[in-house]
Amino acid sequence: MIVNPLRDPRDRRLPRVPDPCALVVFGITGDLARKKLLPAVYDLANRGLLPTNFALLGFARRDWGDQDFAELARDAARKAARTPWREEVWERLAGSVRFVQGSFDDDNAFDELAGALADLESSHGIGGNAAFYLSIPPAMFPVVLKQMQRTGMADSTAERWRRVVVEKPFGTDLASSRELNELVDSVFSADDVFRIDHYLGKETVQNLMALRFANTLFEPIWNGHHVDSVQITMAEDVGIGGRAGFYEKTGAARDVLQNHLLQLLALTAMEEPVEFSAEEIRTEKLKVLRAVSLPEDLATAAIRGQYQQGWLAGQRAHGYQQEEGVDPASTTETYAAVRLGVETRRWAGVPFYLRTGKRLPRRVTEIALVFKRAPHLPFADTDTEELGNNQLVVRVQPDEGVTLKFGSKVPGSVMEVRDVSMDFLYGEQFTEASPEAYERLLLDVLLGDATLFPRNAEVEASWAVIDPLEEFWAGSTPHPYRAGEWGPRAADEMLAAEGRRWRRP
Amino acid sequence: MTTLWDTTGSAVVKELAAQRRTGGAVLSGVALTLVVVADEARVAEAEEAATVASAQHPCRILVVVRRQIEAPVPRLDAEVLIGGRLGPGEAVVMRMYGRLALHAESVVLPLLAADAPVVAWWHAPAPERMQTDALAVIADRRITDSSLAEDHLSALRTRARDYAPGDTDLAWTRSTPWRSALASTLDAVSGRRGDAVRVVGGRVEGDPGNASARLLAGWLSSRCGSAVDVVGGARRPGPSGVDSVVLQLDQDEEVAVRADRRGGAVLTQPYRPDATVPLPDRPLGDLLGEELRRLDPDEPYAEALEAATGSSGLSARAPVREHVWFDPARPDDATEDEADDAAEDAADAARDGSGDAGTAAAAAPTVPEDSAGTDDVALNGERNAAERSDPSAPVA
Repeated sequence: MIVNPLRDPRDRRLPRVPDPCALVVFGITGDLARKKLLPAVYDLANRGLLPTNFALLGFARRDWGDQDFAELARDAARKAARTPWREEVWERLAGSVRFVQGSFDDDNAFDELAGALADLESSHGIGGNAAFYLSIPPAMFPVVLKQMQRTGMADSTAERWRRVVVEKPFGTDLASSRELNELVDSVFSADDVFRIDHYLGKETVQNLMALRFANTLFEPIWNGHHVDSVQITMAEDVGIGGRAGFYEKTGAARDVLQNHLLQLLALTAMEEPVEFSAEEIRTEKLKVLRAVSLPEDLATAAIRGQYQQGWLAGQRAHGYQQEEGVDPASTTETYAAVRLGVETRRWAGVPFYLRTGKRLPRRVTEIALVFKRAPHLPFADTDTEELGNNQLVVRVQPDEGVTLKFGSKVPGSVMEVRDVSMDFLYGEQFTEASPEAYERLLLDVLLGDATLFPRNAEVEASWAVIDPLEEFWAGSTPHPYRAGEWGPRAADEMLAAEGRRWRRP
Repeated sequence: MTTLWDTTGSAVVKELAAQRRTGGAVLSGVALTLVVVADEARVAEAEEAATVASAQHPCRILVVVRRQIEAPVPRLDAEVLIGGRLGPGEAVVMRMYGRLALHAESVVLPLLAADAPVVAWWHAPAPERMQTDALAVIADRRITDSSLAEDHLSALRTRARDYAPGDTDLAWTRSTPWRSALASTLDAVSGRRGDAVRVVGGRVEGDPGNASARLLAGWLSSRCGSAVDVVGGARRPGPSGVDSVVLQLDQDEEVAVRADRRGGAVLTQPYRPDATVPLPDRPLGDLLGEELRRLDPDEPYAEALEAATGSSGLSARAPVREHVWFDPARPDDATEDEADDAAEDAADAARDGSGDAGTAAAAAPTVPEDSAGTDDVALNGERNAAERSDPSAPVA
């Protein structure tokens, strides 16, 4: 049945616009809300992707009026917006911005919030639809969720949808994530829970699926017959900034390995989904995550490190233990490298090397498929001395794109084969990429498209991989590495022992 | 940037290759070639728009300016830029004088990115029959702008008469924000009802002589099955030619979208408070960027054009055009007098030459039978020409 005669599947110029709805942000005064969410809302509005009837509701402890809040929101949006600033767009948006003051355990404040939502329904025609963004520490989740349950704000009905957006960390281990999932799922139905992993909002990650499943070129060699090993890297040049309190308890493995890296692994290793839909893609990802295996000897295949004082990009950098707010005897890791296996027919025997770290030489995220060397080379040994393994590298950030590395003859009279790389730079390189991810994901939440959001089972499967690692590492001291170098020596030795080496991204 | 005065197509190819080698990190992923045909008066405008569009879709930009067709001696001036004024990619601005202007494709063909789609955009009055311009024949997608014409409506009728799948018009692109606002208004109504919406009638208020307003009305008619007309409104409409749109729905309801003149539109719908949505007047570059996003035939445009001009069967036409020779200096001649023309500019015809024998360029009649020794690209191909400095390469 055609519900709207003006919608035509062939008409790809018209953007997907969500139903009339409200976005409720808990912790609107926080860092994430100011730096990412508010600018993303403005950018969406500026691009005409917000529904005609839309309202933004902020909830926080601060004693503010709508006016103060509108002021803060405006400054925040203006500072970090990706698209050009247009005052009239903001004015329109500001007309539908509300602020509710209160603490999370205050029943009155939540009654007021529920009232404000009901008011918006009549004044702004939001149709009862609302997405709740929990931009708050996980410790607060139970209180807020209970309050939403009490006031009936969380119930989706046939007439309206209610969705909740949760930021990582999704727990700190398998048990706590299960608890959290149970809690969230008891208040919202599983389909209405959106767990944001902003890496999945990046164009290149989505392009990975196009690369694999829309082409004939790559899929035939995308398996253990041709792939020697896979390296997934997420390096940051920054330290822990002001997040010492959070980081001390978390560490690199929980902060990055558990979510971003394992999700990238799942997308790289998964089988072809039956169709390009949220449900089917999540099913395939989950299969991979459940097939992930840890090496038997963790001592050589799971390395963690901690940065020491050093020089980075021409500036002196403190060691982790000297950072403000960090225990001088801290054993929290800022670097983790691990060799995983994927126990499927496609990947049996292929090691997946995952590494992440802070204070590494540059900020880069990439997935590299290292191919096996040709079984026989008809050239003299000296001709191919400089020939390495062929590589296919998907660069997630920065310079989103794909690189293919292969051997080529050096021009001249002698036969000399050397590695060259062929680059594809994604068109998106010219626009600021990171806020784009939030924009995309926020829009998907409002549209109810869950393709790019991990499901609770995926989160639990990921923790099942991380838990034994954390257990093994508990009580040990991380390997030191200087700020500004590519991780501890032990990580290099881990690959060297198997005749491989890390790619320098 | 290098400017080549009184040059040849092969020299441009060589210069492009040379700059690519010396330019260092240049954009390597080229998704398409954008051929811009512009009047001298509009070149700056066209260049600016192409630069904006190329930032969204990495492409090679070839700007063709045809000047003084009546000039006795043909001449080509070219400006080769990589990572310069025209964005990060490769760009060539070519000014063609004299009879060469009628054989622009002979210069353009060797410059196209290999096996990538070709989009031609006329930021000038477009040819009445596309097939008389060889650049339209080699292009996979052709973008015109009916709003540049004095009489928008006759321009639209010309486009409909000449339509082939793959044609599109910036007047249509200008209507996208309106169409998007209207579609989401009906979404809101159907969302409230929880049931389908039917449009029983409506009107577009604005400038009845504006191509975008006509296409918007045509689109509404084609989607709703009931005639929607453009009527003159009380206020003067903005550049899109539309001031407001009113739609009568079933169940005796009515929705309206009115431009608020501040880059937005006010939506009026029953049982709901008025809402405002953005309705920007977009710069040319953004319009072009939207066009480059998709390169397959635009069926909704064909249907809107049908309804706006009262024609039919546009989508069923063959997408490929056959080049037909047309000489504006001798508009009555169906075919060019080969011998005459060849004699007229024999010396330059040799240089103007065919980079690609056997295709459209070869069909152009000024190309002499024998171009031996005159065209480096024809002899050695683009790559070898660039490698000529290598002493080990064969000397041509």
